[in-house]
This record gives sequence, structure tokens and C-alpha cells, in this order.
Amino acid sequence: MKQTLVTGNEAAAWGARLVRAKYIPNFPITPQTECIETLARWSADGELPGTYFDRMESEHSVMSAAVGAAAVGTRVFTATSSQGLLLMHEVLYIAAGMRLPIVMANISRGLSAPVTLWSDHNDFLDQRDSGWLMFHAENNQEVLDMVLQAYRITEDPRVLLPAMVNMDGYVLSFTDEPINIPSPGQVEEFLPGYDPAHTIAHGRPITVGPPVLDEYSIFKAQNHVASRNALAVIEEVQDDFERIFGRRYHLVDGFMLEDAELVLVTQGSMSTTAKAAILEMRDEGIKVGLLRLRVIRPWPNEAVAGALKDAKAIAVIDRNVAPGKGGIMFPEIIETLYNLDRRPLVSGFVVGLGGKPQTESKVKEITHKLMDDLAAGRPRMEWNDLEET
Amino acid sequence: MYKIRIHGRGGQGAKKAAKMIGLAAFKMGKQVQDFALYGAERRGAPVMSFVRINDDPILERGYVDDPDVVIVLDRTLPDLVNVAEGLSENGVLLVNSEHKPDIDTPAEVKNVDATSIALDTIGKPIFNTTMLGALAKFTHIISIDALNWAIEEELSNYPEEMIEANKTAVRKCYEVAK
Repeated sequence: MKQTLVTGNEAAAWGARLVRAKYIPNFPITPQTECIETLARWSADGELPGTYFDRMESEHSVMSAAVGAAAVGTRVFTATSSQGLLLMHEVLYIAAGMRLPIVMANISRGLSAPVTLWSDHNDFLDQRDSGWLMFHAENNQEVLDMVLQAYRITEDPRVLLPAMVNMDGYVLSFTDEPINIPSPGQVEEFLPGYDPAHTIAHGRPITVGPPVLDEYSIFKAQNHVASRNALAVIEEVQDDFERIFGRRYHLVDGFMLEDAELVLVTQGSMSTTAKAAILEMRDEGIKVGLLRLRVIRPWPNEAVAGALKDAKAIAVIDRNVAPGKGGIMFPEIIETLYNLDRRPLVSGFVVGLGGKPQTESKVKEITHKLMDDLAAGRPRMEWNDLEET
Repeated sequence: MYKIRIHGRGGQGAKKAAKMIGLAAFKMGKQVQDFALYGAERRGAPVMSFVRINDDPILERGYVDDPDVVIVLDRTLPDLVNVAEGLSENGVLLVNSEHKPDIDTPAEVKNVDATSIALDTIGKPIFNTTMLGALAKFTHIISIDALNWAIEEELSNYPEEMIEANKTAVRKCYEVAK
């Protein structure tokens, strides 16, 4: 397979092109802009036959239009970032509640105020409870692969929920990396055209999203069950994906976990740097490994617990913060481990807000603090960013 | 791993230069990563871009703070920005300037008047591509052939004369740089 040098934004645009999304409502925002520019250029050049590239006046309208188009059975793609994602917020719940398999790339960027253009994960994690499936890529290849897989997963009749594919702004969105771009024929084999069983279009019209009384809780329960169903579907699609594209993904990405006494839990692009640091620390004899969270919703509790249960101590590295509480994934990891017979020590570190670089030396520093915590038998919750400022 | 940092001003093509180095190294079979770092930038503001080149997959990300080569597209930037940051005595600092700039660094400082070369060959001050000829001369990390391919690839939407003029400027810069 031929490799091509593309940015994360272009990788997401390639995903939309290869899945033959028929409707792309959009509104530009840094750092997503280049994804939409790429699709705009292809649309103008006739490279997206039969696709309506629809420029809109706000992200709220973008997601509303996406809901309408998906409800009549159209395959929809869009992309946003940060404040744009927040402006979509109320409509995200509607997309999930109406069980519409929309796929959206979010190019994560910290939230205002003050203004930052650089990445952290608060925009994405703010949508955690919206009912969407939430995936987080580590590199540009995974961005493209996740978009392809997201359609197969969301359009499965057992799921029928929208999916968000997150990538870190700048670090992936504006960075060229060599990736494999599959042929249209390969993608068509993996993902046939979208032929939904239920739509509000002609034929057998149905009602979606009406006011309900006692049934409200049933709908929410169905949303939950559908999201849990996605865990099995995510694993099922890997056989076809590997057969056609030669790559395979798991619910969680484990790195040097077999004999790891210390485990770092990460998300997104900082995982790459952390893996480099782990290789160096392994040379020094430190038994450290990494667990990268790539499926955030549905929460893969068994895969996470299975990967972490033999560790002595765990550092949850959150590139986000819930003010008044701490890192967002920190308590999720603790909850996942709470009912184990033997619980590892879990420390939490908030890092990298507003794009602050996560270097190898930072990762080593966190690992050494975790060793101190293990020796003292006392976990910590630390705002690691603040030391230099 | 080989690391390059480019300092320019918004509009001078620092991002494009990084992309072309990336493409050229990619063409030579290397693993590459190139990107630009900017905030609310506008024309004239100091900007940076970066390239990493390696035989194996690249596990570093973000800002390059220990470059092997720094390229400075604008000779007034050293007054504003610490362009030599992280350069060692094995490093090269390459400045677009008619005169050798006075910069405090253990690295070898080289200058080439890419602006004049660009005006002579392209007819416009397009010195971002032009400077890459000097990079090829001093570092051998990329070849002129690979650079020519990168120019054709990256400027494929431009008229043929513009592509040829850029290639000529790169070759001229390669020849005169010393």
C-alpha cells in the first residue's frame, strides 16, 4: 500500500471522502479549518460526486442540519473544534437520542476564557455524557482508520448512535505524517453504501424525537444499551478491517504491559512521547508500561481492568481538568478498579493544558513521582503543569 | 534522528518550507514529521515550523528544542527571537542574509543571500524554497533531486514556469552557498 504524507486534518478529510459521505455541513474553526478546506477543494474540483458540501452560519446549525440529513437516511460527516463543539452541545444529545449514525471529527483545542488555540481534551470530554460514541486517535493513520471504522460501528443496527473521532489540535491536525490511504474499492468492501432500516423519508415514514411521557426513561435506557452493544461491535469489525487494510485495533492500546509494575494511563498524541520515554526507562530497568484509552464511550471497563489489574501503581495522566475535582479520567480509572480483589495505587496528574508540551522528561518525572507514591503508600492528585510557571 | 527548526515571519512560507523538506526526505525513504506552530498569527509576526527526519518511526512530538539545523528566513528575526536556542557545536545556523550575522551560538553560522537569488531567478522574493538549496549543500540530509520532486509535488497547482523557476532558485542557492 502506498504511503502519503498528510496532516491529521487531511486524514480525517480522506476518511469522509472514502466513506462517500453524501452530506457535509460545515463551519470553519481553528484548528479544524484545514479539514474543511480540503473537503471544500475536493468538492469544487468534482472529487466528491453526489456529495452536498454545505457551508452554514454556525456550528449549532451544522449539527442541526446533520440531524435532519441523517434522519432521512443520508451518510453525514462533519468536523469541528473547541468552542464550535460547545455551540453544538444541545444538538449532540438530540443526535444521540434520535439514534442517528453521524460521524464527526473533533480536533481538540482548549476552551475559552482565556483563549487558546492549542490542544487539550476538555472540549471533547465535555460531551462525555451526550450519548455519542467517543474515540480518540494517537496518530494520523489512526485518525483515518477511526473514521472508516466509526461508520461501520455507528451504522450497525445494534448501535445506531453518532460517533466522535477526536484528534489533538496542532500536534496531529497540522502535522504531516506518512500514512496509508486505502483505495476506494477497499473501503467499499469494508463499508458498503448506507441503507438504513428506519428513516423519516418516503415509503414508511416514522416519527423520531417526539415528546414522550412515561417512556422517556425507556429511550434513555435504549441509548445506554446501544452504547454498550458497541463494545462488541468495535471488536467484531477488526477482523474485516485487518483482512482488508492489514491493521488491527483493540478497545485499549497496551504498551509493554506484560510485566509492568507501573502503568501510565494516557490519551491521544501524548501517548507517542510517553512510549518513547518508556523505552528509555525500560533500558534503565524500570518496569513501566502504558495503557492508552482510545475508546472513551462506551467505557471498556473489562479491557481497562484487565490491563491494569496486575500493576502495583498507576498514574492517570489527564490532559483536561474538571475544576473543583481534578482530572476527568482519574476517577473513571479508580472506579473501574475499585471492585478488584487487589487494588493498585492510583495517582492522578493534570498535564498539558492549552497545548503545553508533554515531553519525554515530563513523562519520566511523573513515573518517578509514581515510584515515590508507591514507596510511601500514598497516592497523589497533582497539577503537574504549574511547576514551570 | 535529524531535527530542523525554521524561523520566519507570517507570509514568508516557513510552513511550506517545512512541508517541502518533509516531502523531500519522505521521497528519500525516510520517516518524517513536519509541522508549523502558530497562534493567532498574521503576516509579519514571528512564526516557527519544524521537521523531524529518521530511519525508524518517530516517537517525538511537538516543539523541537534541540535542533541539528536552524533556518532563519528573515535576517531581522535574531533581534526578536532566540533563533539559536538548543543548537550545539555540531549544529548549523543558516540565515537568509547578505552579511554574516552576529549571533551568539556554539553552532556554525552560515549565511546566503536567498532573497537576491529569488529575485534574480523567480522574479519575486520567494526565499523559502530558495533557502532549501543551502540546506541541501550544508547538511546533505536532503538531495537536490528529492527537493525538485518536492517542489513539483507541493506547487502542482502553480504554472509550469513557477515550478521551474523555484527549481532554478534552489539549484542556484546550492551552487553559491559556501
